[in-house]
Amino acid sequence: MMLDMVSEKSKRAKAAVPAEQHQGSPATTPADQGGVLALGGVEAFYGSFRAVNNVSLEVQPRAVTALIGPSGCGKSTLLRTINRMHETIPGATVKGSITLDGIDLYDADVDAVRVRRVIGMVFQKPNPFPTMSIYENVAAGLRLLGRTPKSEMDGVVESSLRRAALWDEVKEKLKQPGTSLSGGQQQRLCIARAIAVQPRVLLMDEPCSALDPVATLKIEELIRELAADYTIVIVTHNMQQASRVSDSTAFFSMDENRAGYLVEAGPTPMIFTSPKESLTESYVAGRFG
Amino acid sequence: MSAPGVSLHEALLQPGAHDLRRARTDWIMQRIFQVAAFLAVLPLFALVFYVTLRALPWLSPALLTNNPLDQQPGILNAVVGSLQMTALAILVTGPIGIAGGVYLSEFAPRRVAAIGELVIDIMLGIPSIVAGIFAFLVLVPILGFSGWAGSAALGVLTLPIVMRTTQEVMRLVPPSIREASLALGVPVWRTTLLVTVRTALPGVLTGLVLATSRSLGETAPLLMTARGTNAENFLDFGTTMNAMPIVIYQYANAADERSIGQAWATALVLMVIALLLNVLVRWRTVNSRVA
Repeated sequence: MMLDMVSEKSKRAKAAVPAEQHQGSPATTPADQGGVLALGGVEAFYGSFRAVNNVSLEVQPRAVTALIGPSGCGKSTLLRTINRMHETIPGATVKGSITLDGIDLYDADVDAVRVRRVIGMVFQKPNPFPTMSIYENVAAGLRLLGRTPKSEMDGVVESSLRRAALWDEVKEKLKQPGTSLSGGQQQRLCIARAIAVQPRVLLMDEPCSALDPVATLKIEELIRELAADYTIVIVTHNMQQASRVSDSTAFFSMDENRAGYLVEAGPTPMIFTSPKESLTESYVAGRFG
Repeated sequence: MSAPGVSLHEALLQPGAHDLRRARTDWIMQRIFQVAAFLAVLPLFALVFYVTLRALPWLSPALLTNNPLDQQPGILNAVVGSLQMTALAILVTGPIGIAGGVYLSEFAPRRVAAIGELVIDIMLGIPSIVAGIFAFLVLVPILGFSGWAGSAALGVLTLPIVMRTTQEVMRLVPPSIREASLALGVPVWRTTLLVTVRTALPGVLTGLVLATSRSLGETAPLLMTARGTNAENFLDFGTTMNAMPIVIYQYANAADERSIGQAWATALVLMVIALLLNVLVRWRTVNSRVA
């Protein structure tokens, strides 16, 4: 089972059906392409405080799913349960099931460290390793795991930087510190670092909230391109961004105990134009949150 | 802010008595701070200047290459003794202190960390004479008056410094850096060593140097353990060992001018070594900071 999770990276589908075609076609992808993420009754706790309540959600493979909702509604917490980062916080626990292509990520046989190699993450603030060069930052995941021969590293670094649309800007200065780049470039560096370990899924936690509009646009274009190969889940506060980059949108709100819950999910155009719930309608119309 | 009926011209352009008073108060306050800062550095400069002045006539190559009983008496065995006792103390307490600091910052449950911090802070406050009497009454009966006992006494004083600075600088590493590594699927221990400790390394090194210079200058515990000797003592930890602070203490109490001069000279040597260490770590820290 674990073997399956790590070895399939080699046959990751390059063929790339344009992401738009997936819209609204649940789980009809061929099995070998995989990347179907399913959340069933997920609850997340900080100690005894319930931050996320009973979320069930099917995430389309190789498409972008946006999680939107007001501050404190548990979007980021939910995102962090998917790659098991939530449990790194003392006292934080998760209930329910999260499966990737049918494998329960919280199964007793599944190690959190392995989950994180299959499910990459990009954070709110660009966080390149301050002691490492641009090259070393991209190589970090593989190097810190210590299993990739030096001869292959150059190729991995270049292809990851190309994939993150950063190669042309940094190819002359790979030895400079990663922190010497601009905010937007740093964020693309972090994306390159995340995809260098060849994950199946990319989680993005408000990846543009610390960036200016031009850098934001670049990252958004990049997200669209990456959706051809990766299942992407993005948390965003910016509803325009959700409507621009995502194929599906899930809207979250908070109940009276301040626990986040899923109000509704569906194809992005539907959520933004004809949502089923009036709460969703008021939120996307900007009436609260 | 202007009162009704007062024109903008009056509000902005006609200084009143209280404007002048405020300007004067500003000036006086700034001067007070300035004088305080000057008073604070004055003794330091006076000390460095005076020590240098008194030491220079006695500084000679022979001083640094000969032992006390040689034809041209020198302090070689004291320099060697100080350096090797300090080196041994740091070699043992450095790794333990760093690892302990990492534990407190990264892994210890909140309550354990709080207790650990308290204990270290108490240890940091131990007067060196107390470390000395501990070594004198507990270690010396076992190890004898020796370099071993001297190193052990120094270690008692350096361990909390290394541990506390390591813990503090590890805490300054932003959590987002650890998360970046964990999210790449890097195991916790590798993240801690290769990312967190690596990022905090300049600060950790600063802690080591702080501990080293503290250890070089310690006198009381060495007087009660290593005792001092006129003999050569290179790597001879089993018997009494000489050290620069011991030489300074003993020679300054002597009656002859030559001994007193050598006390000054030894003080200068000790000061220069400590200064060089600090400059070295400053330079390293500035150069390795990636920002």
